Amino acid sequence: MVRRLLLGSIAFLLLAAALPAVMGEGGLRFLSECLLMLVMAQMWNLLAGYAGLVSMGHQAFVAIGAYAAFMTSIHLQISPYFALPAAPLVCAVVAVPIARPLFRLREAYFSIAMWVFAEILAAAANKSVWLGGSVGTPLTTSGMLNFDWFEPILFWIASAMTCVAVGGVYLLMNSRFGLGLMAVRDNDLAAQSIGVDVQHNRFIAFVISAAGCGLAGAVNYLGNLLISPLSAFDVTWVVNMIFIVIIGGIGTIEGPILGTIIFFALREFFTDILSLPGGWYLVAVGVVAVATMLWAPGGLWPLIRERFGVEPFTVRRRPPAQFTNSAEGKL
Amino acid sequence: MTLLEVEALDALYGDLQAIFSLTFSVAAGESVALLGANGAGKSTFLKCLVGLIERKRGAVRFDGADISGMPAEAISRLGLALVPEGRMLFHSLTVEENLLMGAVNERPGSWNLSRVYGLFPALRERRRQMPSHLSGGEQQMVAIGRALMSNPRVLLCDEISLGLAPVVVDEIYRSFTDIRGEGTALVIVEQDVKRAYSAADRIYCLLKGRVTLEAVASSLSLADLTRAYFGT
Amino acid sequence: MDWIATLINGALLGGLYGLLGIGLALVFGVMRVINIAHGEFMVMGAFAAVIIAGMVPSVHPLLVLLPVIALLFVLGYGFQAAIVNRVVRSRDPLAPLLLTFGVSVILRNLMVEVFGADVRSLQVGNLSRASVGLFGINVGLLPLLTLALAVVLFLLLQWVISRTQLGRIIRATADNSDMVRLMGVKPARIYNLVMGLSLALGSVGGVLLAMRSSFTPFSGVERLLIAFEVVVLGGVGSFWGALLGGIALGMAQLAGLKLDPNAGLLYAHLLFFVGLLLRPKGLIAARG
Repeated sequence: MVRRLLLGSIAFLLLAAALPAVMGEGGLRFLSECLLMLVMAQMWNLLAGYAGLVSMGHQAFVAIGAYAAFMTSIHLQISPYFALPAAPLVCAVVAVPIARPLFRLREAYFSIAMWVFAEILAAAANKSVWLGGSVGTPLTTSGMLNFDWFEPILFWIASAMTCVAVGGVYLLMNSRFGLGLMAVRDNDLAAQSIGVDVQHNRFIAFVISAAGCGLAGAVNYLGNLLISPLSAFDVTWVVNMIFIVIIGGIGTIEGPILGTIIFFALREFFTDILSLPGGWYLVAVGVVAVATMLWAPGGLWPLIRERFGVEPFTVRRRPPAQFTNSAEGKL
Repeated sequence: MTLLEVEALDALYGDLQAIFSLTFSVAAGESVALLGANGAGKSTFLKCLVGLIERKRGAVRFDGADISGMPAEAISRLGLALVPEGRMLFHSLTVEENLLMGAVNERPGSWNLSRVYGLFPALRERRRQMPSHLSGGEQQMVAIGRALMSNPRVLLCDEISLGLAPVVVDEIYRSFTDIRGEGTALVIVEQDVKRAYSAADRIYCLLKGRVTLEAVASSLSLADLTRAYFGT
Repeated sequence: MDWIATLINGALLGGLYGLLGIGLALVFGVMRVINIAHGEFMVMGAFAAVIIAGMVPSVHPLLVLLPVIALLFVLGYGFQAAIVNRVVRSRDPLAPLLLTFGVSVILRNLMVEVFGADVRSLQVGNLSRASVGLFGINVGLLPLLTLALAVVLFLLLQWVISRTQLGRIIRATADNSDMVRLMGVKPARIYNLVMGLSLALGSVGGVLLAMRSSFTPFSGVERLLIAFEVVVLGGVGSFWGALLGGIALGMAQLAGLKLDPNAGLLYAHLLFFVGLLLRPKGLIAARG
């Protein structure tokens, strides 16, 4: 299993290394965007599909990571690339103290509390002169960048992150930690009784999820050379994560990959081919997501998996309770 | 005249088959006991009758009409009422409001609030209290009263003596006389063999989802019954 | 004196916030569902009000509330019947949450495409500027009317829930939706009604808010978060608590704005978030 993963990763990275030779900047940009979105989706999936915590405020970490990288680069006057590690670091530092208090909240309360958290930070960023206020901050150290290699390097970073994210989640879920995490998701009381440290496992998942999103956000905004609160804290970030994971298949590793493909296919179809204004593709993606939730609640990947019998990343968890038509309810 | 008739009923509870080819009938005004230990399938059977179990095969007929495909809401309007295991009172409603819920179907008949209070005088004093403040026996009375308020033609009672003191159970079983006096048929599910024996015209024994005995009560001895119950 | 005026106006604002929250509380109390799309529906109500008011300019804007309430009731009924009812009985608690989240995104972006992203508001002419002297303090007439309307609606809801058969049925369905079927009640129908009622009540808040400040298709998020905070602050499951929660939030909001005019909802959110972390009474799950 690990060998397959290693071979797959090497193949993927070799492909990524070679691609800039044949692909133009626009194409690389698009692929980078896809890969970064995939990373974010995997991170959200780690928290929701495996740890059972649905966050509706993950845009906060996207923004925190991006701002951290920007500020580090600008104030320490170092190359933006070297400032990137600040992103996951700061996100982790923020995630650590709020994790356990937040875990005490029941499902919906956790979700919306995360959203409020994001709104609070957004409002604070809007008022912060140091961060550039509502106008935002341009990447003043962009002079340190060699723009001939800009898109390829970003693409390589995004590819490497994808490898780590997908492979990492796969290894994690195949480990004892992953098993414990899934047990927690399915029945935390039972998990506790067999010695799984519920709080600890959730905590790790939460911090990793935050850090990963932060780094992805930092790379994204590095590419934009500009950050503003309105964009960075936009709920659309988490909307995309949620839709991708739901459509693809929550709690599976292949799911977010499939979901990302479908998401961007729909986006390009609606904005490029149909030439409709931006809101329509979100309506379309939303309709697909809602339809998936109603008629294929495990997502589209499980359907494909059952149909064709393929299972590249064999660790997946079944959500504890699918929809049933059973009438044996509370009596 | 047969009021309720069940033929070759199979039922699944979750993924397990709980009932195997069960045949059963109740005539108008009759009192039938369904005996069996825990897990024999008694509660599942009653839930099948009132329409709460969807995964079932076989025929259930009420007054000649096939009700096996009908939803629970529709069946309740025909005059089949359940006093469920665990009482299942509405905990945010007062005693009186719980009773009134039974009358939502507005079926014609002689049962109303004052008659129910007449049957269970203790409830009249407690009409505005919440069910959680009542004793187990009183809660059971509310559950029975709630079922009566729908003027049922068949009253299904699931383990109503469970967890109650014998004196209290005596009182509740005494109320059955009045209920039967209305012509209401009774199906009593019990684990207590003696109780069932004393209150029923006919007895069924259920073991692991199958009927092991069906007889007129007076033709059996308690010993016969005990044997069938434990499946020796 | 100035501060007292702020606090009083905050309390009046609380009436509005309470109206935003009561719908959410109702749906959660009966179905255990948090309708993430609640905010978007309220914005739709505001758009409806603007459109209707535009069609009949001679009619007083407050009367526009009537058709809007009816419209939102129907929308809520349909929304529940067609979509939410499919997941209400799901044993996965994430399902209704994610579903209503998805619907909120659809509605938000539909509104952007259909109505445009421009800022709108409901013009009420002199009403928005009128004020009344109360113990020497100038109190806005519209906020006063809003609070009065909120109290009346709360009383009406209370009466329906506790004194009518429908209210009994709703409470019983919330307690045990299987048992209630044995009394001839279709839980799905009750849920439709409750969602309709929820959005109807919310629409009152939404329209009044549109009279007080402007809105865009993106304003739903703000309304949802306020509604949620109101419900949580007031104590989940308590209707009058929602009003009190609204008042607390309203006061925090205006006090915060007085100190810091550009803060937006920051201080209200902060109050809520800190309160939630320090004292999540009734919100602590059975989780370890």
